[in-house]
Amino acid sequence: MAHDTHHPGAVQDAPLWPWLAAAVTTLLGLAAWTQFSANPPVALQQLAKWLPTLLLGLGANIGISVLAMALGTVAGLLIGALSLSTMAPLRGATRVYVQVFRNAPVLVLVYFSTYVFPFELQLHHWRLPFPDWIKVVLGLALPASANVAEIFRGAVQSIPSAQWEAAQSLALSRRDIFRLVVLPQCVRRMLPPWMNLYASITMATSLASLVGVHDVVDAAQIASNTVSRTDFTVLIYATLLLLFFAYCYPIARATQALEARHARH
Amino acid sequence: MPAIDAPKNPPGKPAPTPLVSLRDIHLSFGANEVLKGISLDVLPGQVVSIIGPSGSGKSSLLRCITGLLRPQLGTITVGATRVDRLRHEAELIALRRRVGFVFQQYNLFPHLSVLDNLVLGPVRVNGRPRDEAEHQARELLQRVGLAHKAAAYPGELSGGQQQRVAIARALAMQPELILFDEVTSALDPETVGEVLTVIRELAEDGMTCVLVTHEMRFAAEVSDEVVFTEAGLIVEQGPAARLFGNPQQERTRAFLRRALGASLGSQSYAPDNKVVALPIDRFRFAI
Amino acid sequence: MADSSWLQEAVQATRTLGLNYAFVLDAGERQAFARGLWVTLQLCAVTLPLSLLAGVGLASGLNSPRAWLRRPTRVFVELTRNTPTLVQLYCAFLVLNLLINQQLQGRASNPLTPFAWVVIVVALHKAAFHAEALRAGLQAVPEVTLEAARSLGLSSRQLLLQVELPLALRFALPSLVNNLVDAVKMTAVASAIAVGDVTYESIMIWTQRDNVLELLLLILLYFGLLTWAVSRAGRWLENRLRMPGYGT
Repeated sequence: MAHDTHHPGAVQDAPLWPWLAAAVTTLLGLAAWTQFSANPPVALQQLAKWLPTLLLGLGANIGISVLAMALGTVAGLLIGALSLSTMAPLRGATRVYVQVFRNAPVLVLVYFSTYVFPFELQLHHWRLPFPDWIKVVLGLALPASANVAEIFRGAVQSIPSAQWEAAQSLALSRRDIFRLVVLPQCVRRMLPPWMNLYASITMATSLASLVGVHDVVDAAQIASNTVSRTDFTVLIYATLLLLFFAYCYPIARATQALEARHARH
Repeated sequence: MPAIDAPKNPPGKPAPTPLVSLRDIHLSFGANEVLKGISLDVLPGQVVSIIGPSGSGKSSLLRCITGLLRPQLGTITVGATRVDRLRHEAELIALRRRVGFVFQQYNLFPHLSVLDNLVLGPVRVNGRPRDEAEHQARELLQRVGLAHKAAAYPGELSGGQQQRVAIARALAMQPELILFDEVTSALDPETVGEVLTVIRELAEDGMTCVLVTHEMRFAAEVSDEVVFTEAGLIVEQGPAARLFGNPQQERTRAFLRRALGASLGSQSYAPDNKVVALPIDRFRFAI
Repeated sequence: MADSSWLQEAVQATRTLGLNYAFVLDAGERQAFARGLWVTLQLCAVTLPLSLLAGVGLASGLNSPRAWLRRPTRVFVELTRNTPTLVQLYCAFLVLNLLINQQLQGRASNPLTPFAWVVIVVALHKAAFHAEALRAGLQAVPEVTLEAARSLGLSSRQLLLQVELPLALRFALPSLVNNLVDAVKMTAVASAIAVGDVTYESIMIWTQRDNVLELLLLILLYFGLLTWAVSRAGRWLENRLRMPGYGT
């Protein structure tokens, strides 16, 4: 080796796919064992019984996260655009909004939206129930929008001023510059932090279990209390952990891959 | 300044032992062979310049001498130490206390002040007491003309100033030999002169120097020996007057033609940065 | 009483805004809320330094040349960063704690209180993020600066302590401070396992009095104050450690 170096700063990430492959194989093996063995362990049998409920609960989490992220993105882009406005009061107001909703604990915001919004909406003679999960969506959309606004502002400000000057020298209007030059580049820069935010929001949906939503965490708690066996409790909570991991880890890896690709340009 | 054509040791005296001795150095990075058999001697007190096109492995050669790179083949001797045989960190450290290195990108430590940059080596490696090291550091800064910048941080200095601090930092270790790796290539033309002045003064004081440089005129002025390398091999070497005035190899001539261009021998960097006409007839470029 | 008169005036003032802060006048509830404020402060005071220590430990594990240390650390960091804190807290408190209690079987008492579990889980969760920030900081140290340090004869240990770590810390500092602000906010999950922090005490009060909005406003103000203090401290440190002229 030509290099004399004792410093491992360039240590590569050990690839995790061998571990994932091993984990998936183990799970499939356990599933096969449960199905085909005459005397499978009780805990595994119970897990197989409760798995559909868990997955339904996970569906609720994913649904909440998708809706919250969609709402938050739309609102955040608007607020982000306002934060770059030429009018100082608008800029100040958006700054306050972003500071408040980024510095508040997500749990507090979830409680806020759950308790402050009414039990049901009354529009003329119609009574619309306002289910808890929608309140959680609104509660999570608040920090999502504040973060999206920051991501948007950061992306626009990271466009080198040389681009602005070049576009202005071509006699493009401010609106055109945004539309044709700045925003297309922003989208690429915003994507990795936006994906990171989505992963955070998905993990935050676990808080919905604290306000009565029947999500995957709630399902795991009910299962654990119903079966009331120690080995099953260990198993169900490990499964809960792995379910979230299986959903959020690929997002994190995709984000890293996207960032690496962007850095090369 | 010693007369350019006179040899360092008058005839009749035995040849002195070289301070640095390289024999048949081969160095590859993966499949890319960068040095293909370099042999070179540097005598104590000698100033040797290595010139040549980019990518001819000159910087890698310097790094081999101080053990930052290890050649696949060949022997390197500094004083009595066989550098290519060193394995333990303690041995490499002992070598690096004797060999100074100045980099193209200065590489000062940005989180330390100029004074602390100069004091770090002597205190941590040579084990000298702090006030003694500081005293020496201030003297060195005076010598390179930067005594007033002792408390400044590298980020606040210009390129030329940073490079002078880097030279002072190498000197603070009191080395036997200093290696300069294209130390003016990253500088603005106006600041090149101040750095070359410092190097010239070092050479005149008798420090053994090996320079990799693109400054042909400076190399011509200050070197005892010039080595022209291309594609990992030494094409020609000899006293500056002979290599620049009467290059034997066609490849040397072609390189000098490209490097010196049409403005042959019109300028030289004198100590006070005034442009002085180089006495061109001493070199008689045969192009 | 004399000292409660200004409280009464304050409560009256807020009533004009439509807010019901009557709970403040009840001594029991007031003390419970104050206890909650104190517990949250304690949680932050213990968790933040612990997370930094654990972060340094994980970072050195991630950068270790020994694969048997590096790979499990990597798995732990990825697992912790990609699962919710609440779920980790349940796994720790409902599962690990249960197992520990079963093992101890009344022979000795379990030294780990719910408070301790919250500290452990939040500190480890944030340590994973600290470790990534430190790793990025270490990679940002230019190789040529390390080469210069080596050429001066510094040993590997001296290189690490005098050059590599100081620079890596300066690069990683903004991320580390952000992580600490997140950690302050994360202590709110303590309410999920009945640790008496400000969120839990507020829940107790508002289930009786139904003044959710008023309590949430107080909690938001309190957390805002704590996060402001942490980011202020971070800015002060950034200023102390700044490298004049760097990057220009």
